Amino acid sequence: MKRITTTPRNNWQSAVEELGFGFHTTDVPYWDESVYYEMEMDEILLIEKATAELWELCLGAVQHVIDNGLYEKFGIPDWIVPQVEKSWTEDHPAIYGRFDLCYKNGQVKLLEFNADTPTSLYEAGIVQWFWLQDFAKNNDQFNSIHEKLIAYWKYLQNYLNPGTLHFSCLKETLEDLTNTEYMRDCAIQAGLDTKLVFIDDIGWDDDTKQFLDLENQPIQNIFKLYPWEWLLKDAFGQQIPEDSNRAFWIEPAWKMILSNKAILPILWELYPDCPYLLPAYFEEGKLADYVKKPIFSREGANIDLVMKNLSLQKTEGIYGAEGFIYQELFTLPNFSGHYPVIGSWIIGQEPAGMGIREADNLVTDNLSRFVPHLIK
Amino acid sequence: MKKSKLVELALITAALASCNEPKKDWDDNNKVHLRSDTTAPYTTVHHYNGGGLGTALLWYYAFRPYGNYSNGAYQRAGYYSGGIGHFSNVGTNGFKGSVARGGFGRGGYSVSS
Repeated sequence: MKRITTTPRNNWQSAVEELGFGFHTTDVPYWDESVYYEMEMDEILLIEKATAELWELCLGAVQHVIDNGLYEKFGIPDWIVPQVEKSWTEDHPAIYGRFDLCYKNGQVKLLEFNADTPTSLYEAGIVQWFWLQDFAKNNDQFNSIHEKLIAYWKYLQNYLNPGTLHFSCLKETLEDLTNTEYMRDCAIQAGLDTKLVFIDDIGWDDDTKQFLDLENQPIQNIFKLYPWEWLLKDAFGQQIPEDSNRAFWIEPAWKMILSNKAILPILWELYPDCPYLLPAYFEEGKLADYVKKPIFSREGANIDLVMKNLSLQKTEGIYGAEGFIYQELFTLPNFSGHYPVIGSWIIGQEPAGMGIREADNLVTDNLSRFVPHLIK
Repeated sequence: MKKSKLVELALITAALASCNEPKKDWDDNNKVHLRSDTTAPYTTVHHYNGGGLGTALLWYYAFRPYGNYSNGAYQRAGYYSGGIGHFSNVGTNGFKGSVARGGFGRGGYSVSS
């Protein structure tokens, strides 16, 4: 893995905007093609292998959590547990997730799993692919995201409820809308009947006990780029188990187990010999060098990196009320003051590609940049 | 790492290419209270961001009218809204029926992960 600086395409802003990538720059650059990472094929094969194995272990961990009723450790309220278990035992449709991995000194380590609402899908699947076509089209990239999304929507079609597949996200966030519309694009290409409804616009009919879109069409299947922990706290959350249509929510409710950082100590307890896992615990004091993470946290908020009882780096935020976990410190590799984290995608049941986000410090936060890669 | 032979976008390019992201200048101290009609209580608007495009969208979504036509004239009965809270739409009148909106979406500003 090498970090290589280069000259961006002359027209890179218009090139990415033509793809529909409108959030390449906010207050600071987000898409950064002044640098790329060059990977060896054996490094890619290792990341692919680790991703496939971690996915298998995650499925085992979900079964363990359900068998032992460990919901309290995950902050999952009792009233939604039947929905979680039903979605697991009935194998409700799920399509994707993103493992955040640290790759350093030939080792791959799982930092966390974004199993419910992973973002940067469009950057990884489309934007960096078209960058490669302009920049080095004879090289390859760890990237079959687009093909796998279309293929898996085709596969899932037979497992959805009859009718439309709605797609939903928050209003007024172009990043979320782009990721959602990209996912819908793939579903359309798979032959599904789709419709966009903002999550804020969804209606609840208390007479018929069903969710409705803005045209009062009942919602039978819904892909939501909106996390389960927020759904549960919203006023309509308690209506989900009452839904007379038994709509499929994608990702399904059992994904709230995997998207929670409480899964990290569970994975370590079950699979301590796995080379891709770091020791992790619910209790403080078992590790000398560790990262303290809230079980619910986004964009690197409320993270504390501790080495020999001294805080190396600490981030602020609004999370932590539901509890923390402690994971052995395995710092991101340092490329001249730049710290890349690998987001490795699982689509359906298969590794599908990766994206690299790079920060200027050890915590990958909302100021990190998406940087393309190629295979040497 | 199978090389893609053909990548096509059916929907997203045309739909999003001209979009610009609204400013993220949420100000929690600058609250707006709305209700859909006189049968509902006032609640705080969420995702109000104080100005610019955000304000325009807010008013668009907050004041989506409902009503019916009577003797050839439109009779406005109130406002359904995705921009105001669930409780701003509770209460009933002849046109509202039993559908409430705005019960999802209060969780945050973006799901970025």
